[in-house]
Amino acid sequence: MSSTTAEPGAPAAPGRFPREIPIQYGMAALVVVLVAAPLVPILYQSFLTGALYDRDAQLTLGNFARLAQTEGFGTVLWNTFLLAALSTVVAQFFGTAAAILFGRTDLPGARVLGELFLWPIYLSALVLSFGWYSIYGPAGYVTLFWQSMFGEAPWNLYSIGGMAVIAGVSQAPLAYLYCLSSAGMTDPTLEEAARVSGSGTFRTLWRITLPLMMPAIAYSAVLNFTIGLELLSVPLIFGEPAGVTVLTTFLYNISATSPRPDHGLVATAAALMLVVIVFLVWLQGRLLGNTRRFVTLGGKATRPRPFRLGGLRWPFFAICVAYVVATGVAPVSMLVLRAFTSFLSPMIPLADVLTLENFEILWREPVYLRSITNSFIVSLVGAAGATALIGMIALIVHRSEFRFRNALHYTALFPRAIPGVVAGIGFFYAFALLPGLGGIRNSIWILVIAFTMRFIPTGLGAVAPMLLQVSPDLDRAARVQGADWWTTTRRIMAPLMRPALVACYTILFISFFKEYSTAIFLFAPGSEVIGTALLQTWVQGEVGVVAGLAAIQVVVIAVCITTARAIFGVKLHG
Amino acid sequence: MADLKIEGLVKRFGEVRAVDDVSIHVADGEFVTLLGPSGCGKSTTLAAVAGLDRPDEGRITVGGKVYFDGTRGTYLPPESRGCGLVFQSYALWPHMTVADNVAFPLTLRKVKAAERKRRIAEVLALVEMEPYADRYPHMLSGGQQQRVALARTLVYQPSILLLDEPLSNLDAKLRDRARTWLAELRTRLGLTTIYVTHDQIEALSLSDRIVVMNSGRIAQLGTPQDIYERPADPFVADFIGTTNFLPAKVAGVAGGVATLELADGQRVEMAAERPPEAGARVTLAFRPEQMRVAAAGEGSGPEGSVIATRVLSKSYVGGRWQVALDLGGGPLRLEAETPPSGDEVRLWLPRSGCILFKGVTDVAA
Ligand SMILES: Nc1ncnc2c1ncn2[C@@H]1O[C@H](COP(=O)(O)OP(=O)(O)OP(=O)(O)O)[C@@H](O)[C@H]1O
Ligand SMILES: [Mg+2]
Repeated sequence: MSSTTAEPGAPAAPGRFPREIPIQYGMAALVVVLVAAPLVPILYQSFLTGALYDRDAQLTLGNFARLAQTEGFGTVLWNTFLLAALSTVVAQFFGTAAAILFGRTDLPGARVLGELFLWPIYLSALVLSFGWYSIYGPAGYVTLFWQSMFGEAPWNLYSIGGMAVIAGVSQAPLAYLYCLSSAGMTDPTLEEAARVSGSGTFRTLWRITLPLMMPAIAYSAVLNFTIGLELLSVPLIFGEPAGVTVLTTFLYNISATSPRPDHGLVATAAALMLVVIVFLVWLQGRLLGNTRRFVTLGGKATRPRPFRLGGLRWPFFAICVAYVVATGVAPVSMLVLRAFTSFLSPMIPLADVLTLENFEILWREPVYLRSITNSFIVSLVGAAGATALIGMIALIVHRSEFRFRNALHYTALFPRAIPGVVAGIGFFYAFALLPGLGGIRNSIWILVIAFTMRFIPTGLGAVAPMLLQVSPDLDRAARVQGADWWTTTRRIMAPLMRPALVACYTILFISFFKEYSTAIFLFAPGSEVIGTALLQTWVQGEVGVVAGLAAIQVVVIAVCITTARAIFGVKLHG
Repeated sequence: MADLKIEGLVKRFGEVRAVDDVSIHVADGEFVTLLGPSGCGKSTTLAAVAGLDRPDEGRITVGGKVYFDGTRGTYLPPESRGCGLVFQSYALWPHMTVADNVAFPLTLRKVKAAERKRRIAEVLALVEMEPYADRYPHMLSGGQQQRVALARTLVYQPSILLLDEPLSNLDAKLRDRARTWLAELRTRLGLTTIYVTHDQIEALSLSDRIVVMNSGRIAQLGTPQDIYERPADPFVADFIGTTNFLPAKVAGVAGGVATLELADGQRVEMAAERPPEAGARVTLAFRPEQMRVAAAGEGSGPEGSVIATRVLSKSYVGGRWQVALDLGGGPLRLEAETPPSGDEVRLWLPRSGCILFKGVTDVAA
């Protein structure tokens, strides 16, 4: 070809300064600081005689002995284990049954029922608990109705059993999703073989489908057990009044609500919890390695022929409808209804109690209005920052030659093993320890930082699979043509990742918006969010206001999900 | 423009030596093809030259500039090399139009807008894609995408051009057309080029020289004629064109002619430059088109030998017949214009032109 300005054969970047070096090391350092920030102070404090900021504090091992000797600590551990185990059983039972019924049979309306079954995943367990309270609580709608008809109601939410059912129901969607993607659901050949050889529907289900689902059931069981251990809302609302304490509420009681917290004890209990969860997350990793082999990826497999339920079709349908109504639809609806009434009882006509007073209070009291605005700021702005960070992490981990990319990946996924309460306590210490950060400590930005750390793994989970679908040839082509890593990232990868980033932002927005467990250790007057306001108001017994706040949270999340699905086609789970 | 020197290149993936001691010198303006079966290390070699994968050992220089030197630890990142690489997948950026795709490397080189426009038009005209400048890649056919990918690479006048199976995604017809077009373009531009393919027709018709690779190593390096007519080993003979292999034993050697005894005891005579000693086991290799059905009553003579074979099957492949034969347990393939009649066929094999490989080979298909 003819004349040019650039010399033929000249590279675009002849020995330019490698910009990727400071960017990649900078990002890695940021992630390490974020993840280490809550952990280091907790671990350090657990070996100190006094408070972390106390100059006279000595190193000691005594905290562990003191914790072990704390009165009732054994019961706390036993309750914790029992609640986690029972809620896992409940979650696995309903999740597996739902996966088979909605995924593999000719149940009428299976698709819609499947959607409704997922509801609890989008709501915080806190809101779900309030919903259950308003229906099945001592003064709940159904409880009162039952009492007027048959006398004493046979259920009691204020017990380990009652809590396990609420927690189990809110975790069942996870088991459901994992089972749906298991080989038992998607590989028709083995099943067809069994049927051809004359095996009946239930026999095939029992002997073929269910065993093929075992890896998925096992993995989600460990996941749910972990979540059960970390759970704060349900034991806080139903356990505390009944005197049933678990590890999370124990931590809450001795730190956030205690006037003179024993920091050594708090940190030691948090460290103990951390160690247990780290082990469980490690176990999840091991199990997942095994599950992968059973999971058919990418939906390549054709959907197998559904099982015929025959005469049991409609009875099963009735049971499923009853389940989704009783566990999700009714509690949420009742909560929303409660927001618009002054009192709710089957004995009083609805028209007499309808009111907007709850919302007037929300509007009038600065603390509520502030918590709502704060929630929006934290979620809108925080999720944007977190999405940018997560996008960069994903690109460095999956699309760069960064020397420590594996270590970075590991670090970025580590927050999975940090429970919300531990993160909350840890960041509290971290900010108390470092001078000059006082401004952040009493603002919503401490929440943004803590939430970001907490949800890095969640965001990566949304971004990484989509990023891996972008052919590496596309960025390699840009590199060969003379774009360095940073230019390639901005000009080629960022636009190609847009759907992944939108999905990530949506998921983070929802996660930030409903987060409370980290926040209750970190908020200060002025930096309340909906989650913390909910808990505080609940303690004050303002049920109507709680319902109003919860309704706002539910509606915002619903709008967010619907928009994301309609406009961007975002898939929010699976 | 520049020459390319690859010396002692080694690339390992764990235990596997994907590229194992490869040395190639491509002269300025030369067109060299890497040819070999799937997984033999062609793409890995190309990626090493482009800078996409860091090799483990060896040295790569282009026009005297060191791209990689294993002993000194020199390694230029891809963006500092100025190579042009066309991917097998084309790798057009889906979020940019054809014109934007082609503009990208120019923007990186800070070429002024007017100049950029001119060069984009020029290169799109070269690949006959001017009318499609405003389309997005997904609106183009495979052949058109391939041209855009080439244009995007040519537009910045790379020091060397690397093409990784650029035609493999096209259907047979389009492939033929694209090959002719590529051959024309190649004479017009005269770029130093490494072309990767596992299609021998592409390799033979386009290349100045061919490098045949086998499990990471160079099996043979030579001109198309060299490779086709004088394959260095049974692998190359088998990979390029169809080759018949017959195991044999040297029965005697006299005056540059070796008498071979085939598995079933029949004898053929072969001219051999450096004949192996009597008693040695050898493999006789020849192309189907080198032999013909012997005329009735024709016998062995100084020009060639006649051997008797049994017909296993025959199939019509359009214009000619492919006949599978059996010679003392070994398979043979014959192409003939008329199908053989009867179960027996007598073949005439020329004394010169066949190749003798030492030892017994199991390449035969
Ligand atoms: N990233 C990698 N990790 C591990 N092994 C690899 C990797 N890339 C290539 N290999 C291995 O290196 C060998 C050479 O691969 P290469 O892609 O160079 O083959 P190829 O000659 O281009 O084959 P094809 O014609 O199929 O494209 C193969 O055995 C391959 O499995
Ligand atoms: Mg290849």
